[in-house]
Amino acid sequence: MKEHLLTAKQMARFVASGYLKFEGMIPPDLCRACREEMPHNNGYLSVGAPFEETWPKGTALGDAFRLPQVQGLIHSLVGPNPLYDHHAAHLTRAGQTRGPDMHQDSVIDFRDNYFDIQLSLFPVDTPDNMGGTFLVPGSQFRNVRTSEIGIYHHIRGKIWATCPAGTMYVWNTRVWHGARSNYTDRDRYMYKLRLNPTQPQIRNFDTADLDDPEIGQILATNHGWEGNEHRYELMQRVRLWRFVSGQPHYDVGERFLRRIEYQSSPAAV
Amino acid sequence: MPAVQDILVFFQTTPALDASVVAWARYEASRGTGIGDLVEESEPPYNNAMEAMRDGWQVIQMSELKHRLPEDGYELGPLPYQTVLSKFNELQQEEDLPS
Repeated sequence: MKEHLLTAKQMARFVASGYLKFEGMIPPDLCRACREEMPHNNGYLSVGAPFEETWPKGTALGDAFRLPQVQGLIHSLVGPNPLYDHHAAHLTRAGQTRGPDMHQDSVIDFRDNYFDIQLSLFPVDTPDNMGGTFLVPGSQFRNVRTSEIGIYHHIRGKIWATCPAGTMYVWNTRVWHGARSNYTDRDRYMYKLRLNPTQPQIRNFDTADLDDPEIGQILATNHGWEGNEHRYELMQRVRLWRFVSGQPHYDVGERFLRRIEYQSSPAAV
Repeated sequence: MPAVQDILVFFQTTPALDASVVAWARYEASRGTGIGDLVEESEPPYNNAMEAMRDGWQVIQMSELKHRLPEDGYELGPLPYQTVLSKFNELQQEEDLPS
């Protein structure tokens, strides 16, 4: 599995932006078979049960999420033996328009050093005008109450899925996101699977490049909407990076966390 | 046709009227009662509230500074500040508008 694990730089990008995109994740034949299964594949399986025991076998979707490259991705982010949370085949029909839809998936989750992931598979070519799911990169540290953020119609830095068939996005469940209008004459599916970790999400990725200085720059990414809040965002990212990388004293740049953690010792008084 | 109120909301990371807009929303009652198709916009209609004011928009709400307690000083949530702008535009029939 090691060859399919995320690198430390990819993991840092996930911590900073809350998502990663992988084109060519699912081969074309399997993609077509997945697309055929999707209209009949909504609903909940055994919520909270081990993924491996619950997820169907001998089906295209069952096989797709068991491919070594998908398993490596899952392992990197939530570790071994994840739990099945839920899945859904989100459909935006041909010509269906959508109004403001920005939301954070429920329920609100204030836990530190924890995140669920969602894997989003796009089984057919999804051009710009087909309504691929949008995301607000970096928004995963901002807990809100589900759809109240529908008031944000537009936001700087918003991205949306524009990708060839077989692309998979993986994202922190707390990322603000939503559906978009489909202006094409073809139905648009986004098949999502949410998983929970069963143990602390520490060093489950390939740590060979853990000391790469680029990681600090990645964590400091400015997505466009942060403005005056950027340094507070960076503090949250550094906190999560400390945890997932097993480096409890890691900091970057001006070392903002040090400023609120520093304690003078008795000898120095 | 009578003139009715349209609302433009700017979301900012500081409360000033010359602060950059990082998110925005339009509630154009002159055009209808809902938003059935949100057309993507990569840039706000104005860079800040003062630009909008020079184009006839009237500020009807601006944000106050926040008092932050030590225990929630670093908690992040919605974008912290907003400015609400108003302008009266001629009422249009909803059926005359593109969906």
